[in-house]
Amino acid sequence: MSLTVAVIVKLEPDFSEGNISYNADGTLNRAETKSKLGAHSSIACLAAFYAKVNYGANISVATMGPPMSEIALSEAQSICDADSLHLYTDRIFASADTLATAEVLKKGIQKMKENENENNNGIDIIFSGHRASDGETGQTGPQTAWKLGYPFFGNVIDYHLNLKDRVVTLKRLVVLNGMDNIIEEIESPLPVFIALDPSYKPSFTTLSSRLKATIFKKNAEKKVTNFKSYLQMFDHNSLDLDPKEVGLSGSPTIVYKVERIPKGKMNRKAEIIDGRDRNQIKNIAEKILILNEQYGRS
Amino acid sequence: MIENKKLSDLENGNNSNSYHHMLVIIEVVNGVVLPVNYEMLGEARRLMDFFNKQYNSNEKVIAVVLGQNIKDLCNELIYYGADVVVYADDPNLRYMVNQTSTKVISSIAMDKDIIAKISPDFVNHYKKPRYMFFAADSIGRHLSATVLAELDSGLASDVNKLEISDLEIKHQHKTKGNALKYGKVLEMYRPDFSGFLWTTILCLDNKNPEIRRDFHPQACSIIPGAFAPLEPDPKRKGQLIEYTPKFDQKDLKIKILNRSIDKDKIDFDSFKIVISFGKGIKEFPEDNIKLIETLSKLTGAEIGISLPLSKKIFKLDEKINSKYMIPGRVIGTSGRKITPKIYIAIGISGAVQHIEGMKEAEFVIAINTDENAPIINECDVFIKGRMEDVLPVLIEEIKRIISPLEVKAKRK
Repeated sequence: MSLTVAVIVKLEPDFSEGNISYNADGTLNRAETKSKLGAHSSIACLAAFYAKVNYGANISVATMGPPMSEIALSEAQSICDADSLHLYTDRIFASADTLATAEVLKKGIQKMKENENENNNGIDIIFSGHRASDGETGQTGPQTAWKLGYPFFGNVIDYHLNLKDRVVTLKRLVVLNGMDNIIEEIESPLPVFIALDPSYKPSFTTLSSRLKATIFKKNAEKKVTNFKSYLQMFDHNSLDLDPKEVGLSGSPTIVYKVERIPKGKMNRKAEIIDGRDRNQIKNIAEKILILNEQYGRS
Repeated sequence: MIENKKLSDLENGNNSNSYHHMLVIIEVVNGVVLPVNYEMLGEARRLMDFFNKQYNSNEKVIAVVLGQNIKDLCNELIYYGADVVVYADDPNLRYMVNQTSTKVISSIAMDKDIIAKISPDFVNHYKKPRYMFFAADSIGRHLSATVLAELDSGLASDVNKLEISDLEIKHQHKTKGNALKYGKVLEMYRPDFSGFLWTTILCLDNKNPEIRRDFHPQACSIIPGAFAPLEPDPKRKGQLIEYTPKFDQKDLKIKILNRSIDKDKIDFDSFKIVISFGKGIKEFPEDNIKLIETLSKLTGAEIGISLPLSKKIFKLDEKINSKYMIPGRVIGTSGRKITPKIYIAIGISGAVQHIEGMKEAEFVIAINTDENAPIINECDVFIKGRMEDVLPVLIEEIKRIISPLEVKAKRK
């Protein structure tokens, strides 16, 4: 009983100290900032790796982006020991909003299905991250799922498969304002689309799974040195995409303007204290302890 | 020219009769309407009152509720600003499952029978709603994305300001480079990841004859806490419409097996003090975190972080990373909204998303080197200085005040 999974990833600005550069006004300096596999994308790769170790999954990783996005694919391969890498790259894909991006990813995944799965049911699970750290919409995953007709589950923190019945049980973390967080346990037939919660962490508890994980990790290291031999590129022609449906022309939304958020109205009038003034700091210490009822008012 | 004139009628649409009303998707969890829904209704009311006056029209705020035994909640939604409530009451809708909810909401949005009951004048040409609101939370974020994929239109996420206006747009694809008027456009403002920039997203139909496509509804998800709800008015009257949903048998195979309260959640609510830190720890992150830990132990505080830190932007010991640099500690719109007695923001500049999470704190102290940081408008005391200098003194002074006996007792 085989399992085929796909992972959708994104090349993103590297927000870590030393790699990120801000303009004087606090905005991102894109030219100076390095790029890497997005943090949430790597979590999606971990979930795919879990499927490889425990269920022997065949893994394809896909991304849409400029040619340099192959870096993200190779990084992804090093995490999940991917068997194939797919890059959807075409100048007319540029500046797509989430719906136009989802259109490309849909066609790409459908193509994967045709190419790699003569013997089974197609792609059983598609994994994606929670959201990109630059766009921060979290829409591309669910929209791709919907276009493909896959049930979508977001904020997934754990999952297990019953391959015999082709059923997944998963746990989701539901965070709602003004309410306790809820952990929801769900059962669904495959195929499904799973977006991982940022807190997802696979654990390999049994000795045999730990052993397998080590072996696959080594495999991955070997593969990555030659990742281009696993890489396939697609443009709008090879994906049978109508240019009107993708990129800027296929996007319902546009960015109309970008402006600095005006400083909010002053909600509190701050008393400004010189950090070098020990007496004033002492007053603050007292204030904290009084409000905290650790120190009498007398 | 004639073509242009025809296209530039004051409507964001190629078929100006086809889109009407504002749909607000309401979330009911465990029989409770979440606060963000009342906030959305308040803003929808404000916008549609303006719309109807401006365009001499009579379009409605329609609340859409899915669930089980929800009929009693519907009147409440009218009191908070809805003109109409469309509800689907069914055991299969007891929990919001994205797959089923998306289909039910989409069919309600396209249903001509509902429109016939609300506004018979619109029914002949009706295709889709004009505007649509969702909550930007764990339910609404995903739901908005899938519903708009089904309705084949655009969506802005995490919006905190909205206006309706008539705009002249010149766009390579939308207007084929011509300047054309678009009317009744929903301007959707969303703060970007930095928290310092506001990006205005528009969802516009393509008036370009070569790629003419209609993109309605204009939809967004709304940040909880961004808008104020109206005072509920029990005298407000409105229309309740029941909708009988149909289900695909395949979708009903998705089953909720269990729902429980997340016990790992950091319990900010039972702490009187919350101390948060941000990117300002960068010079000596590990040493600074140690100072913050000391301060929190002395005062019995819980520790929070700003969003960027959850992306693990510093190279730190894995123990520190897994303890602190986690989504569960984030204060703000992407994390928790808290109301402690004292909030201490250390090295946090005060991006709008963060402010949203802490602005209800009773007393706010900020420690920051930059007097221009927006946090200065959100705190009661601003200690200007490096945390490396300020924290040791503050800790020392607190230790000095706390009764020496108490300290001794703790040591035993």
